[in-house]
Amino acid sequence: MNSTNHDASPRFQIGDTAPVRRVGPITRTDIVRYAGAGGDFNPIHHDETFACRAGYRSVFGHGLLTAGILSAYTTSWLGLAALRRYSVRYVSQVWPGDTLILSGRVTAIDPEGPDGMQVNCELLVQREAANGQRQDVLTATAVATYDTPGGSQNE
Amino acid sequence: MADQSLVGYQFPSFRFKVEEGKIAEFAKAILCTDACYFDPEAARQQGFCAPPAPPTFSTVSMHWQPPQEGNPLNLDLKRVLAGGNEWEYLRPVLAGEEFTVRSHIADVTCKRGAKGEMTLIVRETGFYDEHDQLALIARSTIIELPPPPPMDEHEVLPT
Repeated sequence: MNSTNHDASPRFQIGDTAPVRRVGPITRTDIVRYAGAGGDFNPIHHDETFACRAGYRSVFGHGLLTAGILSAYTTSWLGLAALRRYSVRYVSQVWPGDTLILSGRVTAIDPEGPDGMQVNCELLVQREAANGQRQDVLTATAVATYDTPGGSQNE
Repeated sequence: MADQSLVGYQFPSFRFKVEEGKIAEFAKAILCTDACYFDPEAARQQGFCAPPAPPTFSTVSMHWQPPQEGNPLNLDLKRVLAGGNEWEYLRPVLAGEEFTVRSHIADVTCKRGAKGEMTLIVRETGFYDEHDQLALIARSTIIELPPPPPMDEHEVLPT
C-alpha cells in the first residue's frame, strides 16, 4: 500500500454537511481545456455551429467535467486516500455562463472491519444561470473509510 | 439496437501509463488547486510517494485506447448519451505507474420510458498494475434512447 488513510481523524456524524462551494462561471475555455485533458472531442462540446445545428442553444460542458469538479470538492472534504467509491448520475446540462453550486451531506455511518468506519455521502451539483435560476445538473454518492483506533465512531 | 448478447463483450486490452504532467493538466482542467497533484513534495506530505491521480482521472486512459474498427456494440450514436459514471478505488493510483486496462460490457437492461424502450449499457473497466493486481474499477452507463420519430433523424444527442 502506497498511502495511509487520511490522517485528519475526521469526526463525521450523520447529517453533517460540507461547506457549500461555488465554482465558475464556467467558460467555453474551461470546456475546451477539459476536452483536451480528458480526450473527449465530441464537437457538441466545443463547436458552436455544430451544437446549434444539433438543436442546442450553444455548446455545453462534458458531464465528466462537472463530475471532475465535484470530485475535487468531495476529496477536499473526505480526503483522497479515504475515498473508496464515487458515483455520479447526469441530470441536465451545464451551459457556458453557469455558476456551479456544490454541496454534500453525510447520510450514513457504518462500522468497517474491527477498527474502522465507513462514511456514506450524497452530493449535488446545481447550476445557477445568469438570471439566478437554479437547476440540478448532477447527483452523486461517495463512500469513504477511516481507521478509528479503539473502534469508536464518534469520539 | 443493443441487446443482452453484448453482456461479456471484451474490448481489446491496452497499456496505460500514468504521467505526472497529465495528472497536473487534468487537475487544472477540473479546476482543482490541491498541491498534491502538482508537487511531489506536497504529495509526500499527504502520504503519497508520488502525485496521485484525481478520482475521475481514469477517463484519460481513453487517449490510450486503440482505435476500433466498425461499431462493435451496434449502437446508433445519434441516440446515445452518458447516464453516469462510477469509480471503485482499491488503492491509490500514482504518477509513474503503468496499468493494463481491461474492459467489458457488464450489463444491458431495457427500460420503458415515455418515448419508448431505452437501453442501459454498463461498461466496466479494470486497471491492473504490474503485479496484475486490480487497483481501480471504473463503470460507465451509456443510454441508447428509443428511435426518434422520422422528423428528428438529424438530432444529435449529448454524450
